[in-house]
Parts: sequence; C-alpha cells; structure tokens
Amino acid sequence: MSEHHKESFITKYVFTMDHKMIAKQFLITGMFMGVVGMLMSAIFRVQLANPGESSILYSLLPGAWLNDAGGLNPDKYLALVTMHGTILVFWVLTAGLSGTFANFLIPLQIGARDMASGFLNMLSYWFFFIATVVLLSSLFVETGPASGGWTIYPPLSALPQAIPGSGTGMTLWLISITLFVVGSLLGGLNYIVTILNLRTIGMTMQRLPLTIWALLITAILGVLSFPVLLSCGLLLIFDRSFGTSFYLSDIIINGEALHNEGGSPILFEHLFWFLGHPEVYIILLPALGIVSEVIAVNSRKPIFGYKAMVGALLLIAFLSFIVWGHHMFMTGMNPFLGSVFTFTTLLIAIPSAVKVFNYLATLWRGNIRFTPAMLFAIGTVSAFITGGLTGIILGDSALDINVHDTYFVVGHFHIVMGLSAIYGMFAGVYHWFPKMYGRMMNKNLGYIHFWGTFICAYGVFFPMHFLGLAGLPRRYYSNSAFPMFDGLSDINELITFFALAGAIVQVFFLFNFFYSIFKGTKSSQNPWKSNTLEWTTPVERIHGNWPGELPVVTRWAYDYSKPGAEEDFILQTEPLKEGEIEH
Amino acid sequence: MTNILIVVVVILLLATLVQIVRVSELLSDIKNKDVNEVTDKDNNTQGILFLIVGFGFLIFVVWQMVTWNHLLLPPASSVHGAQIDTLMKISMGLILIVFFVLSPILFYFLYKYRGKKSNKAYFFSHNNKLEVVWTIVPTIILTSLIIFGLKTWDKSMNVDVSESTTIIEVYAQQFNWNARYSGQDNTLGKANFRLVKGSNILGVDMLDASSADDKMSREVHLVIDKPVLLKFRSQDVIHSAFLPHFRVQMNCVPGMTTQFGFTPTKTTAQMKETEGDDFEYILLCNKICGASHYNMQMKFIVETQEEYDVWLDSQENLESKLLTQK
Amino acid sequence: MDIALKNTVKKQLLWVALVSISMFFASMLSAFIVEKGDVDNWKNFSLPTYFVLSTGIIILSSLLLFFIKPALKKGKSIFGLVFIVLILGLLFSFFQIKGWEQLTNQGIYLTGIGSNVAGSFLYILTLTHLLHLVGGLVGLCISTIKSKQNLYSINNYLGLELTSIYWHFLTILWIILFTFLKFY
Ligand code: HEM
Ligand SMILES: [Cu+2]
Ligand SMILES: [Cu+2]
Repeated sequence: MSEHHKESFITKYVFTMDHKMIAKQFLITGMFMGVVGMLMSAIFRVQLANPGESSILYSLLPGAWLNDAGGLNPDKYLALVTMHGTILVFWVLTAGLSGTFANFLIPLQIGARDMASGFLNMLSYWFFFIATVVLLSSLFVETGPASGGWTIYPPLSALPQAIPGSGTGMTLWLISITLFVVGSLLGGLNYIVTILNLRTIGMTMQRLPLTIWALLITAILGVLSFPVLLSCGLLLIFDRSFGTSFYLSDIIINGEALHNEGGSPILFEHLFWFLGHPEVYIILLPALGIVSEVIAVNSRKPIFGYKAMVGALLLIAFLSFIVWGHHMFMTGMNPFLGSVFTFTTLLIAIPSAVKVFNYLATLWRGNIRFTPAMLFAIGTVSAFITGGLTGIILGDSALDINVHDTYFVVGHFHIVMGLSAIYGMFAGVYHWFPKMYGRMMNKNLGYIHFWGTFICAYGVFFPMHFLGLAGLPRRYYSNSAFPMFDGLSDINELITFFALAGAIVQVFFLFNFFYSIFKGTKSSQNPWKSNTLEWTTPVERIHGNWPGELPVVTRWAYDYSKPGAEEDFILQTEPLKEGEIEH
Repeated sequence: MTNILIVVVVILLLATLVQIVRVSELLSDIKNKDVNEVTDKDNNTQGILFLIVGFGFLIFVVWQMVTWNHLLLPPASSVHGAQIDTLMKISMGLILIVFFVLSPILFYFLYKYRGKKSNKAYFFSHNNKLEVVWTIVPTIILTSLIIFGLKTWDKSMNVDVSESTTIIEVYAQQFNWNARYSGQDNTLGKANFRLVKGSNILGVDMLDASSADDKMSREVHLVIDKPVLLKFRSQDVIHSAFLPHFRVQMNCVPGMTTQFGFTPTKTTAQMKETEGDDFEYILLCNKICGASHYNMQMKFIVETQEEYDVWLDSQENLESKLLTQK
Repeated sequence: MDIALKNTVKKQLLWVALVSISMFFASMLSAFIVEKGDVDNWKNFSLPTYFVLSTGIIILSSLLLFFIKPALKKGKSIFGLVFIVLILGLLFSFFQIKGWEQLTNQGIYLTGIGSNVAGSFLYILTLTHLLHLVGGLVGLCISTIKSKQNLYSINNYLGLELTSIYWHFLTILWIILFTFLKFY
C-alpha cells in the first residue's frame, strides 16, 4: 500500500507527514528549548550564590533585555524563572517528550503504517513550532518576557503596572500557550484514535507495550485538561486586554483604583490547577511508560505485574483530576475542602508505590544489561522514589502550611517531575536512537553523561529541601534581605556549583547525539534484542514502516527469558508454540 | 575577553570528545568488536558504580541532615505549630525510613543482578499475593497519616474566636505590610479600597463607628499565650503572609478577606536566649508579587501583657490620626 | 487503510475533539457557577428574547439534518435541505448578535466600567459558542457546494456526516447553555 512518491527536501524534512520525521522535529525543537531553559537556570543559580556575577552567561541567551543597564535586576530574575519553568514544563517535557515518543512509538509499536491522520499530525507540530517562535520572540520585547511565574496568577499577570513582564511579554506568553495547546490537542486526538483503531492483527489491548498504554492515558489526560487551560487563559486575555473583571476585584495599583469589581483571582487558580495537576502526570506518565519498556528489555525479564502497572496508570490518571486543590491549601479555601483534597492527594501515593515495587520486582533476579538507556531508566526509578516521598509531606494540608511555596516544593517537583521525566526522556533517546537514525550513540559518552547528571542533579535538588525547611520562600531574587537566611549561603553555593557542573555534563549528550546522527556506528536491526514490533522494521527509514504486509502479533511484549525458549527474547510476532501458554 | 575564552574552551572540549570517540571506534575496529555493545565488563563496572554512587548518595543525604540541621527552623512558637511539628516529625520519619529502605534495595539489586552473557534471568511476570500485600500495606500506613493529618489541619484552621481573641488586620501591598489593631471594641472598622487616600492607606471607613479606636502600625506586637486572629487583605496582587516560626501561612487576595488564628507560646526575648541575639519573628511574603517580593517583610514581636499594654497605649488611634489632620 | 476504517477513524477524531470542546465549556460553566456563588455584587440579567428565537432556529436546523440520510437513500438531491440548514445557521448567528444588542440596551456590557462579571460571562459563553458555530458554518458551506455538484451518495457522504455530528453537538451545547443561563 505504501505509495512511493518522490520526496522533495520540503516534504521530507519540513512539511512532512511521516510520523517518524515529525517525532524527530519534536525532539530537536524540545532539545533546543531544553538548552535555552537550562542556560536560564544557570544564570539565576549564579545570581543566588553570588549576587551580581552571572553576566558572562547572558551573551549565550537570545534577547537584548538582559544586557541593558543594571545587570540581573529582580524583574529580570523573575522573568528568567518564569521562562525557565514554562519552557521546561511545556516545551521540553510535554511537547518534547510526548511529542517525540508518541509520534515515534505509537505506529511502530502497534503495527501501523502511520498515524490516523498524518495531516493533523503535521499541523500539530507546526502549531507547536509557531508557539515556540512566539515564546522566544517575547525575549526580545523591551519590557521583557512574562515574569509572574509559570503559574501566571492574576492580578500580577494581568497588570503591566505590577511588573513590567505583564505587558507585551505576557500577551505573547498567552498567544504562545494558546497555540501550544491547540497543537497538543491535535496531537492528542491523533494518538488516541490511532491506538484505538490502527492496532495490527493480534495486538489486543492486553498485549500493548506499557509505553503505548502510558501514551494513551497521557493523551486522554491532555484532551480532557488542556481545554480548561484554554478557557482559563481566554478569561485572562479578556481581563488583560478588554477590561472584564473575571479575576480582578478591588485593586489599587500605582495609586490608581481600577474599575474592576466582583472577580476572583482564586477562580483562576482553580481553573489553572485543574489543568496544572494533570499536566504533571502528562509529563510523568510517558516517562514511566518508556522506563517500563527499557527496564524490562534490559533486565531480560518481563515487566512485573503488567496488569497492576496498567491499573496503576489508570488510577493515577483518574485521581489526578480530583487533587488540584492541593496547590491551593493556603488560599483561604474552606478547610473542609482542604481535607477532601488532602485525602485524594495522599491516595495517589498508593498506585505510585505499586509502580515502584513492581519496578524493583522486575529488577530482582534479572540479568541486567547496563546500556545508557537502562542507566537513565534506573535514574527515573530512583528519582521517583526520592521525589515521590516528599509529596506525602506536601499533600498533607497541615504540613503544607509550613512548606508551601518554599524551596522544599522546588526540590520536590524538580526531583519527582523534572528529573524522573528528563531521565525517562534520555532513556528513550538512547534506547530508540538506533531506530530513529539507524546508528548507535556512543556507549561510553552515555555512561559519562549519566553519572555526571545523576550526581549533579541530586547535588542540586536534594539540598533544596533543607532550604525549604529553613523557611526560604521560592521566587526570591536574593536571600540577603532577611538575616534569618544568612546561614544558607553555603548551601546555595553548593547547589550552584552542582548546577553549573550538571549543565556542562549535558555537552556530552549533545555532542554524542549530533555526532552519532552522522558518524555513529551502524546499528543492527534489533540492537537491544527486544520483543516489540518496531524492531521488526528495516533499519532504513521507509514510508509506511514495514515493506510488505503488516506484522501479525501473537503474544505480549514481555516474553524475556521465558523458560523453554532458546533465546532470552521472543519477538511479538513469533507464534505461540504448541502447548505454550501466554505469560 | 571572557567570551573568547569560553569559545576556545568549548572548541577544545569538542575536539577532545571527537578524539575520544574516534580512538575507541578505531580500537574496536582492530579488535573486530562493536564498541557500543554492552559487555560483561561494562555490566560489572556499572553495577559496582551503582553500589558506590548509590550508597554515596545516601551518605550525602545523611551528611546534609547532620550538617545542616542547625539551619532548620526552630521548634514552633505557637500552640497549633507544635502539633504540626509532631506530625512533621512522624511523616518525615516515615518517609525517611521508606527512602532508606527502598533506595538501598534498588542499588543493591543493580549490583547483585548485574548481567553476564552466560546467565539467564528468572521469568517472573506476576504474583498476586505479593501485589496485594504491597498495595495494602501502603494503604494502611497512608490512612493513618491521613487521619492524623486531617485532625491537625482541622485544629489549625478552625480556631474558635472568643472574647479574649485579639483581632488584627494585616494589609499587604507592593511591597510592604501594614497592620491595624481593632482597638477597645475588638472590632475592625469597615474598609473599602475606594477610600484609600492620603494617610488613610488602608481605606478605613471612618463613618463606621468601630473605626475610631482602631490603630495602625508598621509592626505587630502580640501577647504571649493569648490567641490572636489575623485578618488579611491585599491592595494590589496576591501576596502571602508567611510566619515560619509560628507555622502560619495564608494568602492575601485582593477583593477578599482571609484569616488565620493562632496562639504564640514564646516571647521574642525567650527566643533570643536560645536562637541568638539577632533573632526576630518575621512576616515574609511568600507569593510572587513583583520586583521586591524578596524583600517584603514586617517584624512581629511577642511580649508580656504589660509590655504590650505600654506599647499599644503609645500608638495613636485612627480617630486622631486621620480625622484631626483634615 | 480501507475506506470503512478511514471513516471510523475520521468520525472518532471528531468525537474525541467534541469531548475536548465539551471540557472547554464545562470549565467555563463551572467558573460561572463558582463566581455566582461567591460574588456579592452579582447582577442578575434576563436573557434577551432573541435568544429564545435563535434556540428555536437551531433546533429546527438540527432536526432538518435528520432527513439527509433518507433522502440520500432514495437518491434524491439534498442540496435544498443542506442549503436551508446553512441559512438557518446564518440566521441563528444573526439573532445572537441581535441578542447582544438587546443586552447592551438593557445596560449589560461585556467590559468596561458598567460591566459586571455576570454579564461578561453571558457574553463570553455565547461568544465562544458562536465562534465554534462558525466552524460548523464553514462545514455547511462546503457541504452545500458539494451537494449542489451532486458529489454525495448514500455510500459516500462522510463530510456531510461529520458536519451533521458537529452541528448537532452545537445545538445540544446551545440548549445546555441556554437552559443554564436562563434558569440557574
Ligand atoms: C537544569 C537544571 C535545573 C536547575 C538548576 C533548576 C533550578 C531551578 C530553580 C533554582 C528554580 C527557581 C526556584 C524559585 O526561585 O522559585 C527553578 C524553577 C522551576 N523549574 Fe527548574 N531547574 C532545572 C531543571 C528543571 C526541569 C528539568 C524542570 C521540569 C520540570 C524544571 C521546572 C521548573 C519549574 C516549573 C520552576 C518554577 C518556575 C516558577 O516559579 O514559575 N526545572 N528551577
Ligand atoms: Cu498537583
Ligand atoms: Cu508580596
């Protein structure tokens, strides 16, 4: 069926409808934004350790607003923090992660020629691309980019008089996010419909690799929660530009009383976090899916408790819609409501714990092969344990009084969502690079990259818990205004040291990635001896994925080291032997 | 100059990397082996590394807990805060135990089951008993945490306001705090943002009978062991009133009034004895609110009834402050 | 992909999109409910009479769409039918705008000094509904042209089917919004 037109450069690399190429577009854009976001964090980390000394790093970033007089003043600091958060949450770990692996893996692992709609898929990328351009363009605005935090709470984000970034910068932020959401929704529709309809013969839902389950559930979360961000943003746009009062009431700013009455900033928080919490699982679940696959392949063992793993994903996804209030314990909400949210939030710990135990059980008595992908997958499990546990503190409303909005939170979410997801993304890149480019990434550079990252990342984020327990609030330009924080400067310097070292270590990855695209050693068809369908396609990229008929699936994805088999893996297309029972 | 230096360093780094990769590829060509194949030797090194670095990480964590312990907040100076501290200790203890059990297991498994070409993994795809156990155990532990947590929450948030509770308004604006005492009648006069003008910075409605005896102040004095109810308002954007030593935090939202009640249990003087002479109770802003968010503070002073009375008497009430000026 | 699968896939894409759009309006409506619950200067409004008219019109247009399949089965031309639906759609939009005019005459504004959150919500809800309806109108335009050229048959009218599903969705959505704004 695969019609072979001659592909021009434009249709092959730019306006392509091939899911594999679109995946690479997402990956490269995500990586680029990752570098930008990381540089921003380097700049403000230097500020926190040695106020006023980060200027050398400015020239690495686009945008002139950093360079003008005064160096890194508080406004610019907040702008950087905001852009850093926005970029990493949405650009790198939503689009970069889901966009890459959903596009790449869904058709390949379910045995389809392409996505349900190649056109929508292409559109999804280009919406994302334009969103990227708009977001970056806000770095060149005179008043700087949005600066009210990535959560853009009004009234701060609604009033240019309150902070310069809430002028043009914020407008561009909102436009950009709107485009971003439209792109994500188009992608999400496609992922869901593809998985539900285009599975090849024999690929029942019970035989789906866990990556696909995770991506499916992620897409469902996205389709249900992103529209809420749109409506939340729309009301904000009206308040900002057209004088409505949805979120504004009783405000005097710069000595001037505004006409707005009757609105409620708390309404914004409800709408925002109704998206916001599912969003953290939109970030995390694909990573957990990738990790499940990579750990099973490299332990040479079936993933332990496949059904429980799927069940846990479903439960986490469901619960994620009824816990958003845990971000709002301190807004003066009805204490009873707070209790309800504490209850639902702590419930999430149960499926999360099950996932961790199942990963450990998968490693137990395995024959572990430490590929770079496997190292990062383990990194995810470790980060998920470390970061998930502190969630038990934050989800408890009574304890949140103490640590809400402090560095404890910053430490928590960077480990559980930042590190887990970034490691999952690295694991995915190392694991499927041979499938993407037909070449291998260098193993030893991968090892260096992992160990450097693993050590530095804990060095950055673990100490932050102590800053938080010492009472240090987040989003502070400097800690010198309060004598009670004077003792914390040692910790801050240590964190910054690790942050800079960690940033440098990423050079090993970037180099390895681009070098290997062109010069890496050639990969064989199934370099990791894996069971799933993508490894039955030819090494060269072809339109339609399989040259002849689509593969027919006869077993689940996890028959590793099955007793009675000669090899320690059995492709999903291998028919069951006489008398063999499926796992 | 520094820029040129950076460029040079980066170029050198890249050149070194290319060389390393080249050399290893050449070597493997000679030995006729695939460089990127994971060998038993690799598995061995990486497994051992996990053991070393993993336990190194755990030691690093312990080191932090020991070295930085003195930097953490002192025990709570309020009644409900003490309960929060207890809950915090229990929760912390629990998660630390889980952390120090699961992480070593992870690192140990990686070392113990590092692969060998000649080995074969054990096919073990599920075990219902095991799975039920490790679903139920966390459920029980969490349930008890939830119950304890909710009780503490309930006690912290639902303060009963009695005659003896002092009512104080805390008013947030970019970028400072103001306080208003409710005076003899213990009732705050009404306020409206449209009335903010001149020295009436809080927009107090002077036509309201309860306003006259209110008193404004740039610092808050409290009486030890006497309950106080703070009422929060904001003039412009969302701020958050954070009193870490009392375990008090509440957002200040324009257009609405929020509140938090507590009872201080240690005077500033007592705290100075244990925490050092420069100790002060401080109110910080804990919600991003603009450029000087990092420096939005107000002093709280806890003292004895006598000291408090002297201070309060010395403060001018609103009637004379606002009305006589006109 | 064979044709049947292609059709199912396209329809499903639409269905999932409708779920997504529903979430958009659900969140907007819950925002409305929450604000009504805790705003003290909530200004109640009475819905413009034009909205009653437009409700009737859109229901009628939706009902008409049900005659398409029988007509196609009998091999009759459906141009007239689709065209009428399109006209009704335009009429609906016209009456919506008339309705807003009526509102401003009542002193209910979308923005500015005299506006109230209640009124703003009313405008935003109807406005976003109308924006979604524009998409439906575009679909109807295309369908009208195609049916004029006799491009549809009982075996091949996916585009029209998709437009109809979307149109019914808009009708139901409007009925929900209308009852809500009227009676809540
Ligand atoms: C490259 C290493 C990273 C470093 C050194 C770093 C450091 C920081 C620091 C110091 C803050 C500011 C805290 C504050 O003042 O409130 C911050 C904020 C944030 N970071 Fe990172 N981070 C890194 C990577 C990531 C990753 C991987 C994510 C993805 C989840 C992420 C997401 C965020 C978010 C959402 C915020 C909050 C922004 C806001 O307050 O609006 N960061 N980061
Ligand atoms: Cu959350
Ligand atoms: Cu503030």
